[in-house]
Amino acid sequence: MLSILGFIWMLIVGLIVLGFIAGSAMFLIWMERKVSAHIQSRFGPMRVGWHGVLQSIADAVKLLLKEDIRPAGVDKLVWWLAPFVVVVPSVMVFVVIPFGKSLIVKDLNVGILYIMAVSSVGVIGIFMAGWGSNNKYSLLGGMRSAAQIISYEIPLVLSMIVVAMQASSLSMQKIVAAQSGHWYILHPNLTLAFVVYLISATAEVNRTPFDIPEAESELVSGFHTEYSGMKFAMFFIGEYTNVFIISAIATTLFWGGWNGPILPPVVWFLIKTYGIVFILMWARWTFPRVRVDQLMGFAWKALTPISLVNLAITGWLLLR
Amino acid sequence: MAIIKMINCAKNLIVGVWSLIKGLVVTLKYFFRPTVTLQYPTEKQPMNDRFRGLVGLHPEKCIVCYQCVKICPTACLAITNKQEDKKKTLETFKYNMELCCFCGFCQQVCPTGAITMTNIYEISVFDRKKFDINLLNVGKYDEWTHTLVK
Amino acid sequence: MDTTQTKDIYTEEFLINMGPQHPSTHGVLCLELKLDGEFVKECTPHIGYLHRSMEKIAENRTYTQFIPYTDRLDYVASMNNNLGYVMAVEKMLNLEVSQRAQYIRVIVAELNRIASHLIAVGTFAQDLGAFATPLFYCFREREKILDIFDQICGNRLTYNYMRIGGVQFDFPKGIDEKIKDFVKYMRPKVDDYDQLLTYNTIFLSRSKHIGVLPKELAISYSVTGPNLRASGVKWDLRKDEPYLVYDKFEFDIPVGKNGDSWDRYKIRIEEIRQSLRIVEQAIGALPEGDPTVKVGRIHKPSSSGIYFRTENPRGELGFYIVGDGSVCPYRLKIRSPSFSNLAVIPELVKGLKIADLVCVLGSFDILMGEIDR
Repeated sequence: MLSILGFIWMLIVGLIVLGFIAGSAMFLIWMERKVSAHIQSRFGPMRVGWHGVLQSIADAVKLLLKEDIRPAGVDKLVWWLAPFVVVVPSVMVFVVIPFGKSLIVKDLNVGILYIMAVSSVGVIGIFMAGWGSNNKYSLLGGMRSAAQIISYEIPLVLSMIVVAMQASSLSMQKIVAAQSGHWYILHPNLTLAFVVYLISATAEVNRTPFDIPEAESELVSGFHTEYSGMKFAMFFIGEYTNVFIISAIATTLFWGGWNGPILPPVVWFLIKTYGIVFILMWARWTFPRVRVDQLMGFAWKALTPISLVNLAITGWLLLR
Repeated sequence: MAIIKMINCAKNLIVGVWSLIKGLVVTLKYFFRPTVTLQYPTEKQPMNDRFRGLVGLHPEKCIVCYQCVKICPTACLAITNKQEDKKKTLETFKYNMELCCFCGFCQQVCPTGAITMTNIYEISVFDRKKFDINLLNVGKYDEWTHTLVK
Repeated sequence: MDTTQTKDIYTEEFLINMGPQHPSTHGVLCLELKLDGEFVKECTPHIGYLHRSMEKIAENRTYTQFIPYTDRLDYVASMNNNLGYVMAVEKMLNLEVSQRAQYIRVIVAELNRIASHLIAVGTFAQDLGAFATPLFYCFREREKILDIFDQICGNRLTYNYMRIGGVQFDFPKGIDEKIKDFVKYMRPKVDDYDQLLTYNTIFLSRSKHIGVLPKELAISYSVTGPNLRASGVKWDLRKDEPYLVYDKFEFDIPVGKNGDSWDRYKIRIEEIRQSLRIVEQAIGALPEGDPTVKVGRIHKPSSSGIYFRTENPRGELGFYIVGDGSVCPYRLKIRSPSFSNLAVIPELVKGLKIADLVCVLGSFDILMGEIDR
């Protein structure tokens, strides 16, 4: 009986989360446009709805109505499948994100391992997009992206392992519960892990200063040059969903998850997540882009040694 | 030797991170300041007196001296005149808006101030025939003047 | 992998057209690149997409009628183009220009230099990936300059302000205050750009030691302007061959050390500061008088050919005019700075990556309107 109730609860929360993903992607697109506009002393979307809130819906409708152009020389299956392979892993990660005390689709006891495994599949989608487009620019974009994502997985994973060591568990809810008195950001070795995590996660989702795969001024549009209409919209939604995911994981691992006084846990979780999203957007509109070889050099020669040293220090502190 | 290299590396890292933080401070400063843009077309900036928009004419002041026609670099003005006794009067005054480069020479050379430059700048049309304007027609710019802000 | 295997791997060179429509070639420039993976082996520029046969048109226009055409050469720094042409004709005719007109010319030319350098800085940052923020800040400052010009002469981009012997209008009432306010407003903004971009570690690593232009190469290709000064040559026509009243003002000429892209960018920022100094001194010392001239006067110079050069924001703009006693010139040749600056770029980009090519192209600040005429 209990297992059937648990199963039904899982379905209900799953549906709520799916609805949340769609709404959140639209809200994030609006937020990005408004944040970037006010940084640049201008207004941003103002016409559709109050201060442009309905602009994302208007854009979604426009993209739905657009003609789906398939260029002649593309590799049909690979090109058609690429947007799905990019978006589906992002949505799958939402299974283990703890929105509240029991607002989680399924609290897997290998939560962090599941996240790392599933998010690594996304890079295949980008590479498929680059290869299948039969276009020199897209191919360059796809290859660069694959190299970038693979290099930055190692510091990302190492910083997440530090948190798992501190909490002695891989399950997301247990990590949040372990921070109920004392958020992890207050430990100095975990602050370093947070900084490394933030930099690697920005590189993982291809955002400036690491957005070489979409480097507009060099490769026109990189790996999604040949996509139009709804397929392009899927890449776009996938990017913003990824931004939300890495902020949500950062909140859970380092900033105490849904812990907080007075307000309900869901509200705290959303406040913290959108705060980190704001920091990511703020950094995007300030910094120039890092070059490909400098990016690789930074990952292998700076971030990886720092995270390994951090791992050793955390182990020593825990065993003491 | 290795320790000196490590210290240099750490110093470079700290200087680099500090420069990034300073850049972030500048951007945040402008995030909280008011915006400087106007919401066109509901908010428009009025043009000043010297603005060089489309060419306009006061036909009663014109003495048909042909100075404006001679000085126009792109030859967009064309005049024909009637000779009555010893006085010349205007018959037609054609203005090709497509060729006009808005240089202001005609206004500067006119001895009586008959030809002027108006404030009209929103001048896109759907039909090429609308580019040929007869300057003697009083209502020639009616579809555009109502959009101007004083 | 042992060495015998590497000899059997077949690699090919990639021919790519960084075509006329591309977000970061400034205008319609076509660069034919031979790539080996990410590295550029050879770069051939193809120009002529914006050719409007200005020099031929000049043979059928009077000297006054040609002034609006000079606006459209380097459309971002119109005042300086007008100035170069008008002073060349005045040299042919040996005309005297009133003192007030000369001070007014210096003020508008320096303000236009600031506006042009703002575009150079903004688009350079955009090419490097700081996607829109420095560009919007630079355009916000440029709007103030364009508003001032709008009140002086009635137009925001193609001013047609200079006349042979003077200027079109006198300054309107109240413009002195506006210019002084602008100088006060602009100084902290230039410090903002320094803080946001110049010493940013990502920006430094993208532009330092990229596209180093040695002194001898620069001089042999007749590179001029901030690009030459960044390579260490202290040559500025405002100090070395002073025209107008530049010898009455105090300003420094910034000179770079390495000749890389960062130096070229930094020189432009410093030149904005020096131009602000000149404008402040000139507006304080503006003499009385009437700077306007009648525009209907017909000039018929006859000479075997004079060459006059001025310091454009992009380099040395020269006009070579041959008159034959009629109202139209016999031959008008325009020496544009961007043409010579572009010629040296294929030498510099051999062996660089595409990202660096974009950086070098942006730091040279070329404009296709000048190159193709």
